[in-house]
Amino acid sequence: MLFVKKIFLFFKRESKLFHNNIVDLLSNIIFFFLSIFVFVFALGTDEQLLRSIGLGIIWSLLLFSSTLSLRKFYEDDFNNGVLIIFHMSGISYEFIAFLKIISHFLFVQMPFLISLPIASIFFNLPIIEVYNLILTFIIGSLILSCLGSISASMNLLNKTNFSIGSILVLLFSIPLIIFSVGINEYENNFYSLFNLLLGIALIFLGISPWSSGAFIKLALKNK
Amino acid sequence: MFKFLLNPNSFNKFSDTIFKPLVAITSIILVTGLILVYRSPLDYQQGLTVKIMYIHVPSAWLALLTYAIMTIYSIISLAFKIPFGFIINKAIAPIGTVFTVLCLLSGSLWGKPMWGTWWVWDARLTSVAILLIIYVIIIFLNQTFENREVREKTIAIFILIGSINLPIIKFSVDWWNTLHQPASVSKLSSPSIDISMLQPLLVMTVAFSLVGLIIAILRIKVEILTRKNYL
Amino acid sequence: MLLVNNLSFYRNDILIFEDLNLSIGNGQITQIRGKNGSGKTTFLKVILNILDSKIGEIFWEGKNIKKNIFNFYNETTFIMDQNTSSRKLTVFDNINFWRGLSSSKLNDYDINLLLETFNLKKYKDTKVMYLSTGEVKKLELLRLILEKKKLWILDEPYNHLDDLSIEILNQTFIDHINKDGIILFASHFNPSIENLRVIDFN
Repeated sequence: MLFVKKIFLFFKRESKLFHNNIVDLLSNIIFFFLSIFVFVFALGTDEQLLRSIGLGIIWSLLLFSSTLSLRKFYEDDFNNGVLIIFHMSGISYEFIAFLKIISHFLFVQMPFLISLPIASIFFNLPIIEVYNLILTFIIGSLILSCLGSISASMNLLNKTNFSIGSILVLLFSIPLIIFSVGINEYENNFYSLFNLLLGIALIFLGISPWSSGAFIKLALKNK
Repeated sequence: MFKFLLNPNSFNKFSDTIFKPLVAITSIILVTGLILVYRSPLDYQQGLTVKIMYIHVPSAWLALLTYAIMTIYSIISLAFKIPFGFIINKAIAPIGTVFTVLCLLSGSLWGKPMWGTWWVWDARLTSVAILLIIYVIIIFLNQTFENREVREKTIAIFILIGSINLPIIKFSVDWWNTLHQPASVSKLSSPSIDISMLQPLLVMTVAFSLVGLIIAILRIKVEILTRKNYL
Repeated sequence: MLLVNNLSFYRNDILIFEDLNLSIGNGQITQIRGKNGSGKTTFLKVILNILDSKIGEIFWEGKNIKKNIFNFYNETTFIMDQNTSSRKLTVFDNINFWRGLSSSKLNDYDINLLLETFNLKKYKDTKVMYLSTGEVKKLELLRLILEKKKLWILDEPYNHLDDLSIEILNQTFIDHINKDGIILFASHFNPSIENLRVIDFN
């Protein structure tokens, strides 16, 4: 019971932090829309062309926008010692990482859901593709949060090369992009690819708290 | 017998004994290979450009072989806590990178006259390009962490994850319909390549791997010397 | 009862301290003194198992802490040299978070009283980022009273404090000792507390 209360407390604190930091969050979404505009200006306004490449552009820009604020994933809590305090209240670092992933998923990735239909309107996507996009994004953003957790916890140990985290996230999200955009290519492929995505998400949900916890422990030891 | 593959000291001794003969043999084989390539017949379709193959194919094989060796050493060093594997990983990653770059460059030069384009987004080409990116990231990771143990383990785990790419490269020509031609040498029973072209190709492959081996031995010895304190 | 047995610690193969023996009984206060870089903070972190020492053992109430780490944490308050309050949250939000983590029994009235004594009452709904350095440190020290643990481990508690706050802190320490608590802190400052045991790290 006490444990559940602590988890609840954690999410309350996170939601307050994100609420105070809403500008940062909205900046990500503005970045997303602005880069769509840049793409359209660069490619011209040919409706057919935009419709055929729209989904790919939306997905890659979603990736870029969600790696923008990855540095902040653990850094604040690590620098001011909240991670240690939270750990000393009886929760393992692995579980803290898991909670962080969930809160990143809820507070950073989910607001993008509102922007997805608007972005689809810009590209005149057919309704079935919008539906697929939203479904795949819910799963895909969970994978992105897991990847982000790994790369951000790695960056705690790394004081020289800051872009390597984003590079790794982009590299490992290649299969994610292939599957989530490929879902529209063949109609009867939907369920197999969707299940594949779900499987990847579950694997990452298992791996990433474990590896982030290990990295956090190492970072605390090397501080 | 094979202790020199796992132990830095015996590796030093072993490499000292074989190094000079190795250089001699390599130069002989390299010269022989170049003469064989020079005298090899022209292709009736491709003409002179077929000779790019004698660089392209060996460097592609060796790029994969280097990565495979790194994968094996990552498993060994992670599982049995043998630090020599980390040394090898650091030492041979740049060699693999050079082979991958050679493979991509020569392929590009070959593709222009044959396919009419420097680059196509074909499964084989794309996966090899990703292999190059993985190699470059491994080199970057070597400069990234201050803590040595963290660095070595991270790189080893990264190599293991990246090894998913190897079977994709190997089977990409079978799984997808690609412009790149399927394997013509590895079908051992009946290679679909003429013996007059196969001979110089194999000699060149041996020469390439020996050159790579010489550079690898030098780099591994340097690496052993720099971390003498830790071993 | 905190017992340290033959503790040695190496960082990157460099010896920080060696063969340390220490025992602090109930109702005792101990200061670790030493110049910069003598390993005071490292020692506290090793005791708390944040840093891992391969040589030596630490016992809390007769049990090895490595095997009962969460039991040990359950009775310990650790005040770090950095401030664990989140700069973007208000003073009261921070207090609420700490109160929840340690399942403290203090109600809102007690907390108002506490803030009053530390002269922080007027900042209750201000974000921590607008407080001065000394006030943030005082807020941090509030955790001692909020969490109501037996063992207090503090790293540089006297930094940034004014004379009045130092007096309050000393009084808090004495109250805690009288209630059979254990205090271990590292500082350059020489506080005027009776029965203070000093361990020199130089």
